[in-house]
Amino acid sequence: MKQQLFSTTLANGIVLLGESLPALESAAVAFHLPAGAVHDGAGRCGLATLSGEMMLRGAGDRSSREVIESLEGAGVQWAHSVSTSHASFAGAMVARQLVAALPIYADIIRRPRLPEDELDPARQMVLRNLAGTEDDPAHRAMSALRQLHYPAPWGMPAEGISAEVAALGIDEVRDYVARRVIPRGTIIAVAGRIDWPLVVERMAELFGDWATAADAPPASGPRGSRIRHVHHDSQQTHIALGWSAPPYAADASYEASAALAILGGGSSSRLFTEVRERRGLCYSVSAGYHTLRDHAMAVCYSGASTARAQETLDVMLAEIRRLPGTLESAELERVKARAKSALVMQQESSAARAGDIARRWYHLRAMRSLAEELDRYDRLSVDSIEAWLADHPPAGLTVVSLGREPLEVPDDIQA
Amino acid sequence: MTFRHERLPNGLEIVAEVTDDALSTSVGFFVKTGARDETDATWGVSHFLEHMVFKGTTELSADEINRRFDWMGASANAFTSEEDTVYHAAVLPAQQHEATALLAAMMRPALRAEDFATEKLVILEEIRMYDDQPPFGADERCRAAFFAEHPLGRSVLGTVESIESLPVEAMREYHVRRYAPGNIVLAATGAVDFTALVETARRYCGEWEALPPSARDTWRAGRGPTGDVRETIVRPAATLAYGVRMSAGPAGDDPERFAAKLLATVLGDDSGSRLYWALVDPGTAEQASCHHQDFRDAGLFATQLACEAGDAPALLDEVTGIYAEAARSGITAAELEQARNKLAGRVVLVGERPRRRLFSVGLEWARSGRYRSVADDLAIVEGLSLDDLHRVMDSWPLHGPAATVLAGPSAIPETSGAGDPQGAGGAEPV
Repeated sequence: MKQQLFSTTLANGIVLLGESLPALESAAVAFHLPAGAVHDGAGRCGLATLSGEMMLRGAGDRSSREVIESLEGAGVQWAHSVSTSHASFAGAMVARQLVAALPIYADIIRRPRLPEDELDPARQMVLRNLAGTEDDPAHRAMSALRQLHYPAPWGMPAEGISAEVAALGIDEVRDYVARRVIPRGTIIAVAGRIDWPLVVERMAELFGDWATAADAPPASGPRGSRIRHVHHDSQQTHIALGWSAPPYAADASYEASAALAILGGGSSSRLFTEVRERRGLCYSVSAGYHTLRDHAMAVCYSGASTARAQETLDVMLAEIRRLPGTLESAELERVKARAKSALVMQQESSAARAGDIARRWYHLRAMRSLAEELDRYDRLSVDSIEAWLADHPPAGLTVVSLGREPLEVPDDIQA
Repeated sequence: MTFRHERLPNGLEIVAEVTDDALSTSVGFFVKTGARDETDATWGVSHFLEHMVFKGTTELSADEINRRFDWMGASANAFTSEEDTVYHAAVLPAQQHEATALLAAMMRPALRAEDFATEKLVILEEIRMYDDQPPFGADERCRAAFFAEHPLGRSVLGTVESIESLPVEAMREYHVRRYAPGNIVLAATGAVDFTALVETARRYCGEWEALPPSARDTWRAGRGPTGDVRETIVRPAATLAYGVRMSAGPAGDDPERFAAKLLATVLGDDSGSRLYWALVDPGTAEQASCHHQDFRDAGLFATQLACEAGDAPALLDEVTGIYAEAARSGITAAELEQARNKLAGRVVLVGERPRRRLFSVGLEWARSGRYRSVADDLAIVEGLSLDDLHRVMDSWPLHGPAATVLAGPSAIPETSGAGDPQGAGGAEPV
């Protein structure tokens, strides 16, 4: 299968990426703006999320309501999110609607009205969402893990901190949008049934005259403590633990990802087999790889009844310790098969592809074809992964538990 | 896209929506059994059995099943609902036979007592996991209240007590009866080699013994509560309150069900709906949504609300007020157009992913023995009019009698019901 990938950079720094998937009926677009939570600033955790919400509340000639109604009227399945690194606005639609949808997104991004009378409703929405996450124990455990493991501000919760969101004013939102919603650092990805030259022409009309500003990266601060228990009156104790891994831009991230997939990536993985299948300790258990641009983490998660949580943690730690030196080629072959199959199936979704090409560009500053990606998987071997594990054995673990009782964490894994 | 259908002599049905240039193939066994086919003594057995199917056959261990799925790069899983138990795998086309053969073998599990004992622990963990999460059981309690004594009101997972007391013999008996070939549909979508699919099915399922069809219950006797039913669940650890409200709606065999889904989109879609603008956009509620859910012979409108505990009673009244106002003043042409475009967009996006289409094709065939293409679905959406929506609101007033359950951090004060007690209650079935 010959992949049709495109990329170009506008004069103001916007990176425009595309993938033509002519077998699809749909097209998807994703705008990733360098306005993620990492730029919130001390004491203003949640500013990026509040600002992103405000951008939807009236733009150009459209009122708040007209923004949503014009997107939905065009049949656009729209989504908006703020992550650590980006504020993102995305949409998937029947391909012929793309031309009508782009000017709406241009208004949201370049001409948000940021009206003062929408600040309180937007703030209330952010605060309600925050309250909702308080009721999601798995989310809280994972959020606490990121906060402890990554140096500030990279681990701060993008959704915000209630007391800090409550104190934000309209001037801070307007200033944030002016400083952070800028062409340099913006990635726009389009995938599906697209006409690339036409997309470039339309994007140049809509975004070409957007004046650029300098992009200042945030300074990294200190990390949190390694072990934390969060009291929560729940039947299950949630366990989230992690240790440092190479970021995606480092070639060794493939070795790290494969090792983690063997540990806890599929139903034949070691954690699933030992924790769930053999012992029936839990319903959910997994290991995976989480990456930011300059930091990354191996992440393991499980949730088990209070009385069985300690055994669950102990078995997880035993499997983590056992990993170096014990990999089998059959395990690696299964990991490769799953990864390759997932890569090919991703081509059936325009939204998934638009997200994927943008993500890779953010990390690599380049596009990477499916063929290159498959080739990199082919080059993975038990020896290459073992060599990497020998140099980087799991160590310095951060461990979060959330539930009724704290867990005992052995000293050796904290070193 | 072409549709194919075949039936083996033992009653197993095979259906496929074939898209030659698709990149993947999805296959699934759709067993027509679920929570509504259980009794008090077997409550939770359908879902527990779904787990046990992955624990192996007389020839295959659980580890081997897991390894084989991962080996073929399959995205494989299963789910159980009130009416269906579905085992599915998405693979690259070259793995069609492997995936189908493995799923077919799994349909005849060993159901070993020692695996049963270990997996029982996993089921109990799953029950606790969901019980710790929003809406803290409010959805299940509400369905139980809506359907009163009918088995459609059973929670799919069962309870800690029902699972702990379930013997393996009861599961074995249930399996023989409910997993008879005449009660199963093998469905496939994407790049399907249909001839090869039928050949695989003959080889691995052809010997399954045909049994006379086992009867299923019917729900025709009633259609939801005749008056308002309200219950409260107290969860001191909860931050927000979660409300679920269910009122009667068109059933899965009622032609009005499509209009009901469009109506729910206008009134309570996650964004851009009347509930969204009234409650979510102003930041009053964390969630306020409505959707239409249908079963073989029953249907309901389910409203979900998440908000500050103190606001919950007033906001539930506001929701029923919005429904009453819609019934009184009608839906606008602009609302209809927006909702139609939204649904059409969703149909197209789902339609191009074989792994999503599998569920549309398989579940519809299991329920009705009919096939609807993406084009058929689009034509239905395009053909819906304001009259259709207004007729549904007349026949099935969303502000009418309903079961409502609120779960929250403290006892939530009762309010006077906002519904019209003369609404849908006690009316004749359609």
